[in-house]
Amino acid sequence: MSALEFRGVSKRFGNFYANRNLSFQVEPGTIHGLIGENGAGKSTAMKSLFGIHAIDEGTLLVAGKPVRIRNPIHAMKLGIGMVHQHFMLAGTETVLDNIILGHEPGFLSIHRDRALAELEKISKTYGLDFQKWMSPVDELSVGEQQRVEILKLLYQRSSILILDEPTAVLTPQEVQELFANLKRLKEEGKTIILISHKLKEVLAHTDSVTVMRRGESVGTRVTSSTHEDELAQMMVGRAVSFTYEGERKIFAKSDESRPVLKVDRLSISGVSEPLKKVSFELRPAEILGVAGVQGNGQTTLLRFLSNPSRFRGVEGEYRFAGRNRMGSHPDELRKAGMALVPEDRLSEGLLMHQDLTENFLLGQHRDPRFVKNGWIDRSAVRFRVERAIRDYDIRPPYSTVWASRMSGGNQQKLVIARALDSDPSTLLVAHPTRGVDVGAIERIHEAIMKERNAGKSIVLFSSELDELMDLSDRIVVFYNGSIAAEFSRREFDSWTLGRVMGGGSK
Amino acid sequence: MKNTLSASFRSFLRALAGAALGLGAGLWVCKLVGESPWKVLQVLYQSSFGSGYDFGMTLFYTAPLILTGLAVAIPLKAGLFNIGAEGQLTCGALAAAWAGVIGAGIESPVLAITFASALAFLAGGVWGLIPGFLKARRGSHEVITTIMLNFIAAGVTAYFTLYTIKDPLSAQAETIPLPEVFHLKPFAAFNGAPMGWVFIALVVLAIMVHHLIWNSAWGYSLKALGENETAAETYGISRGGAWMSSMFLAGGVAGLVGVVEVLGNAHRFKIGFSADYGFVGIAVALVARGNLLGVLPSAFLFGVLQKGSASLDLETEKITRDLSYLIQGLIILGVSAEGLWEGLWKLTRRNHA
Repeated sequence: MSALEFRGVSKRFGNFYANRNLSFQVEPGTIHGLIGENGAGKSTAMKSLFGIHAIDEGTLLVAGKPVRIRNPIHAMKLGIGMVHQHFMLAGTETVLDNIILGHEPGFLSIHRDRALAELEKISKTYGLDFQKWMSPVDELSVGEQQRVEILKLLYQRSSILILDEPTAVLTPQEVQELFANLKRLKEEGKTIILISHKLKEVLAHTDSVTVMRRGESVGTRVTSSTHEDELAQMMVGRAVSFTYEGERKIFAKSDESRPVLKVDRLSISGVSEPLKKVSFELRPAEILGVAGVQGNGQTTLLRFLSNPSRFRGVEGEYRFAGRNRMGSHPDELRKAGMALVPEDRLSEGLLMHQDLTENFLLGQHRDPRFVKNGWIDRSAVRFRVERAIRDYDIRPPYSTVWASRMSGGNQQKLVIARALDSDPSTLLVAHPTRGVDVGAIERIHEAIMKERNAGKSIVLFSSELDELMDLSDRIVVFYNGSIAAEFSRREFDSWTLGRVMGGGSK
Repeated sequence: MKNTLSASFRSFLRALAGAALGLGAGLWVCKLVGESPWKVLQVLYQSSFGSGYDFGMTLFYTAPLILTGLAVAIPLKAGLFNIGAEGQLTCGALAAAWAGVIGAGIESPVLAITFASALAFLAGGVWGLIPGFLKARRGSHEVITTIMLNFIAAGVTAYFTLYTIKDPLSAQAETIPLPEVFHLKPFAAFNGAPMGWVFIALVVLAIMVHHLIWNSAWGYSLKALGENETAAETYGISRGGAWMSSMFLAGGVAGLVGVVEVLGNAHRFKIGFSADYGFVGIAVALVARGNLLGVLPSAFLFGVLQKGSASLDLETEKITRDLSYLIQGLIILGVSAEGLWEGLWKLTRRNHA
């Protein structure tokens, strides 16, 4: 008997089938991968399961019994728990209070001690090794916050745990820890559904995997008897290459050309990730990769490079396009040819409740191409948006769609299209493929490489070593606020890079 | 564009349906207390639209609410909640009255009215700018500072009224009357209701403000900031600048209530003249759900109800002023329930995405 079964499930929104005749089974005590491109219907399926919306056709079976799940509370009672991609935690409250929220022991007063004892037991049983029960959630690292979410499900006695893109926000170490934990949970009898884009992860850590495309399930495979190419082909419907195999133009004497951007002994204090004496140069027609475990100064560097006017307590030198740019405003840098793809597209890059046209204007709302005498020429903007929609295959292809209604990959394509729209000479790109599906990754990598081959300079911030090694001409590794080592292309080696990222030597 | 137009039209229809629903509930209450709903409906209609005078008075109640509604809705675009329209309009009204003292020698009505309006706008604007500045500089929360500034405005204007430009011939707490040349002429068709071209001017003003917010680069920066502060900052939109400028404009618009009241009606500043216009403006803006053009019908609805509630008290036996407030409340509830439906609809949409 399977722990969970979708039997011919369909879910319609208007005329659009988000899930159509979806069928698959999850065996108890296994880790089951659910993969598919953005918009393939994974989230819809899981939301149906979690009682967030009602299915139109078909049957859901939990532990062999057909159920109509009315709402999330009902789902929780059936033992289904979900860790959302964006955590559902109250940041200023303690870990303990977050976990017991909605399931507080005691009637008139909350028996926190009882909850605590229970949690200690759970933490021990599943080997989660967690102690910071009384810390506010805000003080925890992202990985720890995720563990709190998992503990919350265990406290609610969930037997089926759904994790939506759990590794998108984690550092490599945290990823490792997560999967070790999941394995222990499995051994204790829990059933885990892992929603992911990352084929490697799914291959390494699941027992079986269901592939979805366009709302339907394309097939379920036993993980040990499938491979990356097969899964990718099932997902996208065609063969996909994972490494950039296009042209990498070799430029003669690129070393001697004058740097476009230069940072010299840059120190920034008084921020959560300070920088200490950082120096590097960026030349035309090169991609400089910036690697490092999250929190080692890369974020500060990116924010400073794109908007120096926000920072106080800066020492050193920052030159761009032949001028000193200490204290410069983003508009000046833009005019001088800089464009930005920020770290977190949701919080830094998009206006969720505005349409594509309004989003396209962000940062370009003083660009003379779109603005004359202070008035916005929306038809000019719309013209460019529609071009971007065609060029980057943005879906749904309407300039009037809200950003919140697009999948992560399409949102990212919009952010990148916007950055490239002004034909910049220099690009600051952070995590361009974070949470983006395989098909879109290819396109984004192509777009970045095309810029490089056209002679543009690019600083690429990424937590994906494969991506960095694929695209970069050089990589600098950040550790503890400074550059620990620099690698030229022929020195690239994930093992050595990883060691330097962890504080070792080159 | 077509999409958004039909969307706002749909939401207007739904608001209308909500108002009808609220009215229905109100009439049912009337029936419960033993008054004929038909009679109540008649009184409501007669009191708002029955004669030129009545309609003029309805517009007279509506006019300040358009301004205060805008004064709340504008900073709302940038994510600020302006509770201070009351103080801003008080400053504007005093400035309008003062304009008559300073500009006693002005002979051209156009010049006089322009001068008084500019002064009223400026005074309200500066009063609005203060919380904007405090927020930008010190991070002070605008809700608290604007509330406090309402009290300060009341005190300061009272001081000037009593000690600087008090009318020596009057026993009331009011300023020296404005010279004739400052008076706004009402429409003759309104039979003495103090409302004229200024109403048309306010409608044009609302349309202009809407245009400014939607189509200017400045308006864009406000909206971006209100929608996502981090993103706006990342792309170089200055928070302080947007906060201060939006609060200045909002305060200025609220200050123009002084033109309607002082130049159009009382022809002088009287302490406590405002029937809480600044606070009702919050409800006006919220019922319009922050839509700048929506402020027009929303303010009109409040104008009709305010006018009607007074008449209901006088012209029916069972319905007292309090009960008419209850009916007013039910209608507003009906309209805002439309916002609730919209919210639910959006919520489900978001979950589907």
